[in-house]
Amino acid sequence: MTVIWTQDGIVENDPWVSGSAAEDGPKLLPLAEALDHAQDNAAFGVVLQPADDVRALAPILDRVEIVAVTFPAFSDGRGFSQAMLLRTRLGYKGTLRAVGTVLLDQVPLMLRTGFDSFEVDHAPTIQRLVEKRLPGIDLHYQPAADKTADGPGYSWRRTAILNG
Amino acid sequence: MKTASFKTKVLTANRLTDGISVWLGADGEWVVSLRDAFLARHEDAVAAIEAAGRQALADNRVVDVNVIEIEETESGPRPFRLRERIRAQGPSIDYAPASAARVSQAA
Amino acid sequence: MYRYDEFDHAFVAARVSQFSDQVERRLSGDISEDAFKPLRLMNGVYLQLHAYMLRVAVPYGTLNGRQMRKLAHIARVYDRGYGHFTTRQNIQYNWPALSDMPAILNELAEVEMHAIQTSGNCIRNVTADHFAGAAADEVADPRPYAEILRQWSSVHPEFSFLPRKFKIAVTGSDRDRAAIQVHDIGLQLKKDDQGRLGFAVWIGGGQGRTPILAKKVKDFLPEADLLTYTTAIMRVYNLHGRRDNKYKARIKILVHETGVEKLSQEIEAEWLHLKDGELKLPAADIAAINAYFAPPELAARAEGWGELAAWKKSDPGFASWVGRNVAPHRHPDYAMVTISLKPIGGIPGDASADQMDAVAKLAEEFGHDEIRVTHEQNLVLPHVALADLEPLYRALLADGLATANAGLITDIIACPGLDYCALANARSIPVAQEISNRFGDLKRQADIGDLKIKISGCINACGHHHVGHIGILGVEKKGAELYQISLGGSGDENASIGEIIGRGFEPDRITDAIETIVDTYLANRTGADEIFIECYRRIGAEPFKTALYSSEAEAA
Repeated sequence: MTVIWTQDGIVENDPWVSGSAAEDGPKLLPLAEALDHAQDNAAFGVVLQPADDVRALAPILDRVEIVAVTFPAFSDGRGFSQAMLLRTRLGYKGTLRAVGTVLLDQVPLMLRTGFDSFEVDHAPTIQRLVEKRLPGIDLHYQPAADKTADGPGYSWRRTAILNG
Repeated sequence: MKTASFKTKVLTANRLTDGISVWLGADGEWVVSLRDAFLARHEDAVAAIEAAGRQALADNRVVDVNVIEIEETESGPRPFRLRERIRAQGPSIDYAPASAARVSQAA
Repeated sequence: MYRYDEFDHAFVAARVSQFSDQVERRLSGDISEDAFKPLRLMNGVYLQLHAYMLRVAVPYGTLNGRQMRKLAHIARVYDRGYGHFTTRQNIQYNWPALSDMPAILNELAEVEMHAIQTSGNCIRNVTADHFAGAAADEVADPRPYAEILRQWSSVHPEFSFLPRKFKIAVTGSDRDRAAIQVHDIGLQLKKDDQGRLGFAVWIGGGQGRTPILAKKVKDFLPEADLLTYTTAIMRVYNLHGRRDNKYKARIKILVHETGVEKLSQEIEAEWLHLKDGELKLPAADIAAINAYFAPPELAARAEGWGELAAWKKSDPGFASWVGRNVAPHRHPDYAMVTISLKPIGGIPGDASADQMDAVAKLAEEFGHDEIRVTHEQNLVLPHVALADLEPLYRALLADGLATANAGLITDIIACPGLDYCALANARSIPVAQEISNRFGDLKRQADIGDLKIKISGCINACGHHHVGHIGILGVEKKGAELYQISLGGSGDENASIGEIIGRGFEPDRITDAIETIVDTYLANRTGADEIFIECYRRIGAEPFKTALYSSEAEAA
């Protein structure tokens, strides 16, 4: 079973779930198609592959409703840099979703690099996410794309701002 | 099924909890000595130990499961590959001799 | 040395419980081995031939007596009474149980140690000159910068799943004792015209199956830009490093295939966006980290000069130990002492728990409580008064730690090889032992002079064979071990990759071959002051090839 999870919990009836979009519904487009599609008026999202240069999105980013970043395997960490560039370089404020291989132990790192939505189908992962038992560390030795508090001690350190 | 070129095989792995090298014994339990390993002398037996290995991996009892070829000698099974002989016998060097002696006395 | 503050303590505690949770989920079957492997590796846990292996970080090779005692305690309680010091200044335990890992990590955390990022495709333990903070020839201490890098790279959200492992080394003087040219990033501290501190930055060095020396991409990077520039390098590598083939995934291949000019332009372009950002280091922070590494108060001990001369005269064994294992300190009354973990016929880099305890005690008694691990698999006491050398020597002698062979032919680097390692194709340790025994006579070794032999049991080159004056690579050929020799490698400031000399040698012939090479050198050197590597660079490979292979050519 595939679910969409955010820090607020499971999202029901998400229109952007991979493979489930109706013919006439909103579409997640590959990067090249999205660049072509930007002239149209219909709502669209973009699904990025690891080799895509996210900076190509800059001219159309204000028209994109969602960016999905693909993790083809647990070991492929390009999506983390793509997310950092989207958030910190291009200033993207919309939904940033991790799709593909999304497993529990990377979710805290994904949250730090700016992801706020997760398409998950691994049952033990879903269970822990639903229980809000994330295996993250709230102390960070480096700034990233998430909201954190400064310090303590040295300029590179940050601490998590906990929800609720 | 037994042909002239067929080499006897055993199933080996490392125990999940402590990583110690183990071999599949005749009673289906994992044993810590190659001498006690079940010897697969024909293809059907190999298929059976492979299946047992897949099951043990899926049951999270062992990791790094491999079928290896051995030669049956008077002193017991002897793997063809040096790697597997070292796995069966331990490091070929006299490591930390004093404490190793302590461990073997305790065992 | 660096001491944890509350933040560091809390971070390591959180990391231990994070990993303990991962171990628990693995043991209960919630995570498969495939998914667990990258997680355990990122915390230094390997599966070797006989058992799990745990690699504990010794950041930039610096530790104190209390930490060394804890390492001994772990060896005794959770392992088989010994540990193995590695070429990356870490220590490995060969027999710990997975189920004991949480307990071991908690014990380590008590003394401000951990196993974070000692493996996996992430930024590994940052290494540095083992004589840092003491060497007479130092521009600045590299360890504060290694510590800043250590902190910044710990559980980095963007750079924890890189194409391949990533190794950074920092050196603080023109003499390169950290082998920076065979690292993914090599940093050399230097001063610019105005006396400001910064780094020459090298990237893309590495060994493994494709040995390549690093290329310099920046002649002077101001110290404040350490993290911004490193981030730029890492981001370009993370996005563009090859992931289709693990043997082509290191940054050296990206440098090679892209070209250093183009790649450094890409790094520069990325850096432009980052250089004035939040990772720019404030001078106050650099100063605060530097303060931790302030040298100990070294009282004048001028009496040592006279005593030393007298002791040397009366005890030739002591004199040769001082000659080989004692190096000049920046304080004239002090010295840096190398404790050889290469006893004749021993296992390179191995130390028993008792020896670790002994070193801890001696460091506290004679060495201002500081110990270093060297990338050559020895230990160092960096601050010892000349006046204390003799009692220190006596104590080391009693513990089998006074072998006077630092830098000599028996000071061999060797990986664990096929005796332990799941990746190895051939054994390394027995080869090292046999060579060590063959050349064990101290007078003979001293006559041969500086000669670095480095042995790897497979192409991954953990034994640094590519940069050995004599490198030995074990391979498996038709089911048997075979040893390939390369000559002329060097890992210092005049780095070079060794050249394979010819066909390999069987296990029972490799030591004879090494002896032939040594004899050829002795016959050709201009004098005792022309060391092996200089002689090789002058005369080339031919005389050695002839000596090794001519008799069989005639027979053919």
